[in-house]
Amino acid sequence: MKILIVDDEPLAVERLKFLVKDINPNYQLIEAHNGIEAVEQAIKIEPDIILMDIRMPGMDGLEAAHHLLKFDKQAAIIFTTAYDEYALQAFDAHAVDYLLKPIRKERLEKALESCSQLNKLQLEQVSLQNIALKNSDIQNKQVTYRTHISVQLPNNLFLIAIENIHSFLADNKYITVKYNKNGVLAETIIEDTLKSLEQEFQHSFIRIHRNALIQKNKIEALHKMDDGRVLLILKDFSDSYEVSRRHLAHVRKLMKS
Amino acid sequence: MKNLFQVNKIASKAIKIKQNNALFLPDFCSFPIVLSVVIIAELLAFILTLAPLSIAQQGWNDLALTSLFIQWNALMCSSTLCLLRPLIKYRSPQFIAISSYLSILLTFTLLSEITFYVINEYKITRIIETSTHWEFLVHNLLIGGIISALALRYFYIQHQWRIRIETESATRLQLLQARIRPHFLFNSLNSIASLTQTRPDIAERITEDLADLFRMIIREDKTLIHWSREKELSEHYIDIEKQRLGTRLNIQWHTDNIPHKALVPALLLQPLLENAIFHGIEPVIHGGHITVTGELIRHHLHIEIQNSNSKNLVHRQGNQIALKNIKERLHSHFSENASIHFWEQENNYYVKIILPYKEHTES
Repeated sequence: MKILIVDDEPLAVERLKFLVKDINPNYQLIEAHNGIEAVEQAIKIEPDIILMDIRMPGMDGLEAAHHLLKFDKQAAIIFTTAYDEYALQAFDAHAVDYLLKPIRKERLEKALESCSQLNKLQLEQVSLQNIALKNSDIQNKQVTYRTHISVQLPNNLFLIAIENIHSFLADNKYITVKYNKNGVLAETIIEDTLKSLEQEFQHSFIRIHRNALIQKNKIEALHKMDDGRVLLILKDFSDSYEVSRRHLAHVRKLMKS
Repeated sequence: MKNLFQVNKIASKAIKIKQNNALFLPDFCSFPIVLSVVIIAELLAFILTLAPLSIAQQGWNDLALTSLFIQWNALMCSSTLCLLRPLIKYRSPQFIAISSYLSILLTFTLLSEITFYVINEYKITRIIETSTHWEFLVHNLLIGGIISALALRYFYIQHQWRIRIETESATRLQLLQARIRPHFLFNSLNSIASLTQTRPDIAERITEDLADLFRMIIREDKTLIHWSREKELSEHYIDIEKQRLGTRLNIQWHTDNIPHKALVPALLLQPLLENAIFHGIEPVIHGGHITVTGELIRHHLHIEIQNSNSKNLVHRQGNQIALKNIKERLHSHFSENASIHFWEQENNYYVKIILPYKEHTES
């Protein structure tokens, strides 16, 4: 059985490794140190179980779990955390179990045991149950947004950091994402709505057209065309997008501030 | 201590407690309350029987009759209040007081009337012979009115007292949590659990550091301590966090200019360092740096903590409690002579504390 241990603190990883080895020396252990690495490793090695901390730099465990939900080969996720304020959110993220640090060996053993008995169908059922739990959860949740968006491919999944994204462009049912991929302007397609993206990323993106959201700090200049249309030029690749009349005042105000 | 009450979260919690408890009337359907009503009524019966100086042979008979009448009244009042309770649950204390008092008086009137009628009709006792209908009613209402007013007052005070105890303990707990994040405690314990397997010597040292720190944290009276001690405590704290965060946590101290004997409030720095780590180091994959600078300028200590800030907006919010707490502690020690400032500049977060330089405690 392959177990992925995700924690940003070396000592926490060390302890989990020690405990798991103690429970069964034959388990194969892989480690990751933040949510991004966790998603990458999970896709590369397809672990059976992921033991994941919640508070981590870069991308937290909850977000990583949400991204991994889209991946075909779903692993059983067990959250480990030092303090239990995240319990409800963890179940939103379809966790199979939730362990409090310092974790007891017996408790971990039980969690691993119940995970290894779950097959894919049961895992999905756990997820379904948890979706029901999520829907019944009427508590105010703290406003959060993703640090990355995940792009689903057959048998694969990759992440794009929000700060690398230039624009979201709506196109029928899909959204085209234009982003900086190692210095090249790349684009890909995700399933989402511009409205929900606008809501989630309102702190860093601005709507400039019925079908376009632009990263605020990528804006370079406004350019007025001869035919009266206004184009917004972005930094890095000088890619340009049309600004609609309706959103122009809004964009001007942002650029002044 | 009372200033600290202003900490938003705590205040709102306290208000919540108060709102839930405008209803000062205890549950008159519950056994302990009924029992206390019966006891109060019986004591009243004793007093009334003992009050006339000439206790005749009729004494016991009188006590029995008076008890019967008073108990009847008291229990009927209890049931009235018991029925009234759900109706006035969410009203103001004034409304509750007036409505319950009026209903008690109404009950007394009704019972007195019934008693008078029954006794007159069947000529049971000679008590009534001596008094007219009105005298009997007014007499009963006066005694009942005074006693029930006292009883209501007693319940009100008892209730206030209980609320105060509850609020105080809730406040104390919240204050403790404001001083230290539970995350820190449990993460440290986890580090220790891990270290005991591989490096018991470090585990031992961290446990000692943690003990020192918590001894200071849970101490109620925050006295002034020497700068050298304060720095030592801060270094213990950083030492613990360093085990956890490794090379991600970088700290530099430029505080040699502060005299060792300078007096500062105990644990002035720890909450600020904790904030710096929570908001500037933990959320960043490669960590960050903290710089503590200290100067003695014109009889004032200037202590500045600078930390690199994370880009994540979520982590920038909600660090106001520690700052507020320190502000109030500075104020209680130095009144207007100390100040705390905080600002953000080029992705760095700064907190600066200015406090008067003192060497000896006055007390």
